[in-house]
Parts: sequence; structure tokens; C-alpha cells
Amino acid sequence: MRNKIEFGACSDIGCVREGNEDSFGAAPDVRLFVLSDGMGGLAFGEVASRIAVETIIREYRGAKAGTGLNGDSIEGVSEASNRLVSAIHAANKAIYQNAEQNGANQQMGATVVAVHLAEERMSLAHVGDSRAYRLRGGQLEQLTRDHSFIAEQVRQGRMTQLEAGRSGLQNVLLRALGTSPKVDVEITEELILDGDIVLLCSDGLTRELTDARIAAILGSCDEAQEAADRLVEAAKQAGGGDNITAIVLRRDANSRNSFARMFRIGR
Amino acid sequence: MPKLVLKFENAVLQEVPVSSKEVSIGRSPDNALVIDNPAVSHYHARVFNEEGRIMLEDFGSLNGTFVNGQRVKMIALKHGDSVAVGKHTIVVSDSRDLDGFASSYAAKPAAPKLNETVILDTKERRAFMQQVAAGGESAQVAPARLKVPTLVVRKGKTSQKEYPLTDKLTVVGKSTMATVKLTSWFAPRVAAQINRREDQSYYLGPADKVPSVNGRPIDRPTKLSPGDVIDVAGVQLEFVYRD
Repeated sequence: MRNKIEFGACSDIGCVREGNEDSFGAAPDVRLFVLSDGMGGLAFGEVASRIAVETIIREYRGAKAGTGLNGDSIEGVSEASNRLVSAIHAANKAIYQNAEQNGANQQMGATVVAVHLAEERMSLAHVGDSRAYRLRGGQLEQLTRDHSFIAEQVRQGRMTQLEAGRSGLQNVLLRALGTSPKVDVEITEELILDGDIVLLCSDGLTRELTDARIAAILGSCDEAQEAADRLVEAAKQAGGGDNITAIVLRRDANSRNSFARMFRIGR
Repeated sequence: MPKLVLKFENAVLQEVPVSSKEVSIGRSPDNALVIDNPAVSHYHARVFNEEGRIMLEDFGSLNGTFVNGQRVKMIALKHGDSVAVGKHTIVVSDSRDLDGFASSYAAKPAAPKLNETVILDTKERRAFMQQVAAGGESAQVAPARLKVPTLVVRKGKTSQKEYPLTDKLTVVGKSTMATVKLTSWFAPRVAAQINRREDQSYYLGPADKVPSVNGRPIDRPTKLSPGDVIDVAGVQLEFVYRD
């Protein structure tokens, strides 16, 4: 399976912001990919998202080496899923403690979306409004549900998608890493089959591009890196109101490029 | 939030909000809206929210579902509609006032600056959600199910006759990680997948094959209702809740 997954990633500051508060990381050796969007004053957003990515990858590796889980184990999901959730709990704690050290009035937090691959099985964990999508047979499917006020309103039938798109409350999150000592991590298990493309992205991408546009770009690229670059570029062209980050994973029976593919960070 | 008001003659028997969770209607006690009358099927119909529209679907019930006097299979409901099931009436009440609560929140001193992400901590969130008359995130308001969702094999070669759906992800296929294991020679490795979502609902999605539900092919994840019959890779499965 290792030689069947190809990945690419791209991150950009966008056209408006003064810093890039998004972070991402890839640990192909343990088949783990992590994306985080930080928030907070001064440079604290960048710090928060970096702590998130680094802690999750480190903790996942550590848990693999046989240390215990942070928090209770979850039934009905794989061991890898449990390890991933445990690593995210550790990241939550690390950001929370860092914020406390920086003084009580400095709130910092981060979203996270992380995926672990085991054969066709994906463990998908997230907190906040960073998303995962899967393109299968030309259909783009959002695999995560945003932990945001607006998304919740739509789920409860209080708002239509259209009203949600126009709302001024897009930025209100219901869950984030680092804002309280405990966090509720959502874990999902999914499949990645031959021909599937999986996208992890920050809201800077999904606020600028429609699902149809994302599907068209993902579907028209031959390589994961090209897809990640083109998605980020398209979001910039559409306004680039926020930092934009995309990780693209492709499972292809005939892929020449293995995990050896490098990724790069934009300006 | 839109709601359904169950009436018999002029008496109001029950009120059920139409949230993200669908409202199942029928005689069986595990429905959200139970109508205990022999003229009503065990799983008669359902009302669900589709991108803000309130949809009614009749599950092919024996005596039918009528909206404003017309027998219907699937229809979008609006405020004031009257749904007849047996001798009971369900009145649709939809008085959403979205602008009201959105502006009341935005006008607060703590209103977020445009483009700056705000996190509601648990306490704030609770107060806020109560203010808009919700019970928290929808995933947390789903009641615990006492019954076990189960796939019953009706046709085809499989390793067992029944499969309780205990995992978040259930795979149908020949693969070693498949729960519903297909045993015929040419069965696909991963024919279809079933996911349990946070609100405890189950969604069937295509994998290497496009399954059908009640004879209709599905190319995207589709919510399963009790009694649904799934056909995939030469196997027929019925989705039920077991005691």
C-alpha cells in the first residue's frame, strides 16, 4: 500500500493577512498527515498551530512505541484511531499550557484535521472548521462536519446553506484546541480506495472555492502536488482573504511517485 | 426551529422539533413520533431536513400519507401544511426567525471582528445555544439507542446471517477488514461502506460497487432507515434495529 499513496501539500499566507497561522506536517513513515489553523493575537496563532502539528506527530509516534493513551479509549474504532485521538488530546494540553505561561489574557487556539492511513482504512480526526474531503467517482464528499456555530445551525435546520454562506458569524467556532484543559475530538473512519483523492484543508480554501471548483481541480490534476498548488493558487485568485493550506493524498494503482515526493511551502 | 404537532381531532398529543435528526413516524415504539393505531404502518413515513427544506417521505405505507388531502410519496412541507396519517393529523409549524437571533448576537459587545476567528468556550456556548433555544450541538442531543442496528442477510453468500453494526465503519466485501464478509469467488474486496455518524445515524456509501437501496442506485452516502433493503455485489441485506 505504501507505494500506492502519493501526497502533496501547499500553504500560503493569502492576500490579506500579515502572517501565516496555518501549519501542516507529514509523517509518511507512520502514514500520518496533519493540518492546523491557529488563532490568537500577535504571533500566537502561528505558535498554536505549530505546537498542534508537532505534538500530534510526536505523540502518535510515541504511542506507537507503546506508551499509554491520553484519555479513555474509544470503542468501535481501530487502535490507530485511538492513538490519533490520544495524540490530539496531548496537543490540546500543550497549547493550553503554553497559553497559560504567556499570561491569562492571551487566548490562543487552533483547529486540527489529521488523517492516518492503514491499507484502505483511514482514521480521520478533527476539531474546529478545518476539513477533509474525498473525491470518488467524480463526487466530492465532505468527510468532516465543522465544529462551528454556523454549521451547527444548518444541521439543526435553523439556517439554509444559502443563509449560512451569507452569515457574518462564519468565524465562531464551537470547539478548538488549546482553549480549555479538555477537548472533544471527533473521530471518523473512512475508506480510501484506488482512484480516490483525499483533501485536507484550512477554511482559507473553502471560503474562497465552491465544492464544484475544488472537485474540478482535484479531478484534473495528474499529481497530488500539482493539485495542492493549483487549489491554493485558485483560492488566492478568488480573494485570498485568509491563510490557505491544502494537503492532497491520492491513491492510485498506477502511481509512479511514492511517499518520496517532496512538498514545499509557498511564500 | 420548525416543528411537527401531532393532533387527534382537536387535541394536541405531541410536538417534535425538526432538527438535523430526522423524525420517523410510525406505530413502532422506536419512532420519534409514535402513532399507536392499526391504520398506521410500523415505519410509516419520515420528515427530515434537507438543506433547510422540510421533506416528508412515505415509506410505501399501506394506508398512505396525505398532505392537504393529496396522497404523497415525497414532498417538501411548508408552514401550515396538514399531514394526515391514519386518523391523526400532523400540522407543520415553521416560524424560523433567523435574522432575529443573528443580529441580536452580532450586536453584542463581544461580537467578533470580521475575519477573526472566535471560539465560544463551553460556558459561553451553552448560554448562547440556550439563547437560541437549542440543546447544544446536535450530536449531543441524540438520545441513546437501546436497540442494535443490524444488517440481516436476505440473499447471497456471506460469512454470517446477521451483522450487528457496532463499529463506526463497516465494510462490505471480501477484504480482511470487511465486517460483512462476502464469500463468493468473484466478490469485490470493498463493495460498499456504512458509516455511523455522531448523531447515531447510519449512512451507506459506494466503494468499488454502487449499491442500491430499495431498488434505487446510490452514488453518494445515503441515510439508512429501518426496513431499507440494500443490494450490492450479489448480496441482499436488510437494515433493521434488533432488541
